[in-house]
Amino acid sequence: MSLISWARRARTPEPVPVVREIAYLEPADLFDSEIKDDPEASPVLCCTGDPAGAAAFNALWLKRFAASGRYAGAVSVRGQGGTPAAEGGVEARAHDLVQAVVTVPRQAVLIGHREGAAWAALAAGRYPASALVLVSPRQFPKQPPKPVGGPPVLLVVAESESQSKEVQAVADAYGVAPLTFAGSPDDVFKGVAAEGLLDAILSWLAGKH
Amino acid sequence: MQEYSSQAAYDRGEAVCVIGAGASGLIAVKNLRENGFEVDCYERDTVLGGLWNPQNQHSPLYSNTHLVTSRSQTEIPDCPMPDDWPDYPSAAQMLTYLTAYAKHFGLPEHIWYGSEISAIEPVEGSRFEVVVKPAAGNAARRLRYAAVIIATGHHWTPNLPSYPGQDQFKGTILHSSQLKDASRLRGKEVLVVGGGNSGVDIACEAAVNAAGCVHSVRRGTWHLPKYLAGEPADYALNRLGARPRFLRRFLADRLLKGPKRLATRMGIDVPEHGPTGEEPVRNGRYLEHVGDGSIRRRGEIARFDGFDVSFADGTEMRPDLVVLATGYRPKITCVAPKLLGIDGDSPFPKLLARMFSPKHETLAIAGLVEPGVGVLPIVHWQTHAIAHWLQVRKGDPDRAANFRHQVVSESAQYAVEPGGTSPRHQLAVDAEEYLASLGRIIDTLEQEPAK
Ligand SMILES: Cc1cc2nc3c(=O)[nH]c(=O)nc-3n(C[C@H](O)[C@H](O)[C@H](O)COP(=O)(O)OP(=O)(O)OC[C@H]3O[C@@H](n4cnc5c(N)ncnc54)[C@H](O)[C@@H]3O)c2cc1C
Ligand SMILES: NC(=O)c1ccc[n+]([C@@H]2O[C@H](COP(=O)([O-])OP(=O)(O)OC[C@H]3O[C@@H](n4cnc5c(N)ncnc54)[C@H](OP(=O)(O)O)[C@@H]3O)[C@@H](O)[C@H]2O)c1
Repeated sequence: MSLISWARRARTPEPVPVVREIAYLEPADLFDSEIKDDPEASPVLCCTGDPAGAAAFNALWLKRFAASGRYAGAVSVRGQGGTPAAEGGVEARAHDLVQAVVTVPRQAVLIGHREGAAWAALAAGRYPASALVLVSPRQFPKQPPKPVGGPPVLLVVAESESQSKEVQAVADAYGVAPLTFAGSPDDVFKGVAAEGLLDAILSWLAGKH
Repeated sequence: MQEYSSQAAYDRGEAVCVIGAGASGLIAVKNLRENGFEVDCYERDTVLGGLWNPQNQHSPLYSNTHLVTSRSQTEIPDCPMPDDWPDYPSAAQMLTYLTAYAKHFGLPEHIWYGSEISAIEPVEGSRFEVVVKPAAGNAARRLRYAAVIIATGHHWTPNLPSYPGQDQFKGTILHSSQLKDASRLRGKEVLVVGGGNSGVDIACEAAVNAAGCVHSVRRGTWHLPKYLAGEPADYALNRLGARPRFLRRFLADRLLKGPKRLATRMGIDVPEHGPTGEEPVRNGRYLEHVGDGSIRRRGEIARFDGFDVSFADGTEMRPDLVVLATGYRPKITCVAPKLLGIDGDSPFPKLLARMFSPKHETLAIAGLVEPGVGVLPIVHWQTHAIAHWLQVRKGDPDRAANFRHQVVSESAQYAVEPGGTSPRHQLAVDAEEYLASLGRIIDTLEQEPAK
């Protein structure tokens, strides 16, 4: 985060605090002797624009990440799932994400889906994520902040979106080429498409973090 | 170094040495690692957190220490404190926060505890040899590093006044860092000396715990309450920075009018300059205690005489306990003073941009400023700049030389002349100006990517 944007933030009223719903799963919670906590692997924290919030990741995502030896968390930002609604726009949601990620045991990967990708991108401008994963971003900031600490960035989008202007703009902003997955960008939480998407994210993470 | 010459130094290659695992050292380790450096951090004590850890043998914390800067102005910029914490967290919360920060970023594995650095010496190739003081019975260890960052803090060596007759005084004299516990005040006639934040906080503790409290202060300072216009005071003042320049003065005067009038009513000369030139006292209770008589203010002490103390105004008292809240001296003993630009006996380094050694490009100090606002954000940006600097220097010597010129010219703005009338203000910086300068330094370092 640049000094100037921090200085500006330190002069701006802080969003009203909310009690945030956080769902998490650790490798040990899977009760599978094959699965070991991998101390080298960064934890992940997920968020989505889907109103279900953290709960959306319960069916599949958290289990898959935990099975890879990672602490896997998801957070509902204000107004989602079990987190009460409160004032504040995207900045306040990014604040919720930053507040949640610093409670994760170790430096974590931020994963955002849909509007969640936009919040994750803003959060990564304040918090040095160990990696930033943007899944089918929507309502993405035109000029996202430079991620602090220079984390690797992964952009994954549905095949159908890959040519869209918005996806191109995000790819350009980070200087990355998008990976694609088969299926609908709004239906990523279970089923074959979700498995494929998670395979892609996990294999990318395995090489980096 | 003679006594160590029998043992060869262990070469740590490109690794950087950080001295001290207080807030500044921890932030330095994190930012260096983020820039790809290997780091060894040496801490003489057995715990992290520096002065915020009451288990640190020499911690200056006294009972009931709370932050004087508010949460949003104190937290490290890339790792906020929990937003359900109070506006002014306690010392215990500060330690919880620093411990969590260290754990989150995997810092403890880079810290060597019980390792006091007794000397650092430049060796060939702009490297440093670092001597770790031997634990009982062992030989001293010597290691070589590509760079050294000193983060040893400046609140460890009490600054003690000496008044006529002080040595023969029949009551008890303690420095504020030795007080620890308010129970020592109970039932006593207490004299607190020194009008900084420590003196004022301790006078308030004495006001409610002691039999009587006299507070000796030799000159006026700004007294700010912890809240102004319904907001934490430092935040309210910082926010003025977002207003157009011509309005700021007017708005600041309006915010500060009440506190200034109250201080004047209590007989305090408020300095002419605003509260940003030197560190203000931030305590909302103090003036009320003065107002209800539970703290009686006096001027400077003239002399001690047996059981008695007389003041410059001719009045006298008989204290059981004298607490000298007379501050600290920034003593850095592990390095030759001239490397820090010190000549003569002054304890105050003259650094470039308040952090770089004027003599060696690979030596820097983090946290040796009193910005009058939260210290941790300043240290974050300092160490961010230092880490980037070391990186640029490694990869691109030409750019490094240009940059060096810029730092020298930025430093001219911080000629280390004392701002106020007291030597302690040698460490003071105007936070807004200093941050702007750090911003320019960081911009230059980040603009042209290293080849
Ligand atoms: C009573 C008090 C209250 C304060 N309140 C506030 C506040 O409200 N807000 C604020 O922003 N700031 C406050 N400060 C300022 C405070 O200095 C900073 O917040 C911060 O703690 C500075 O951290 P540091 O790491 O620079 O120094 P320290 O915390 O002093 O840490 C230095 C570390 O270096 C170690 N060390 C020293 N010498 C050696 C050596 N030779 N070898 C190895 N290790 C060594 C020490 O053991 C220590 O652990 C306060 C200071 C005091 C004294
Ligand atoms: N709760 C908190 O967060 C908190 C609490 C305490 C301290 N702190 C911080 O810790 C640092 C140290 O504070 P501090 O209050 O211990 O020290 P300080 O700010 O240096 O204040 C020392 C005081 O003692 C006076 N003094 C010095 N030498 C003297 C002498 N020979 N005779 C008489 N008076 C003398 C000084 O007067 P002159 O100004 O005239 O020199 C000054 O009033 C500061 O940065 C402070 O903000 C924070």
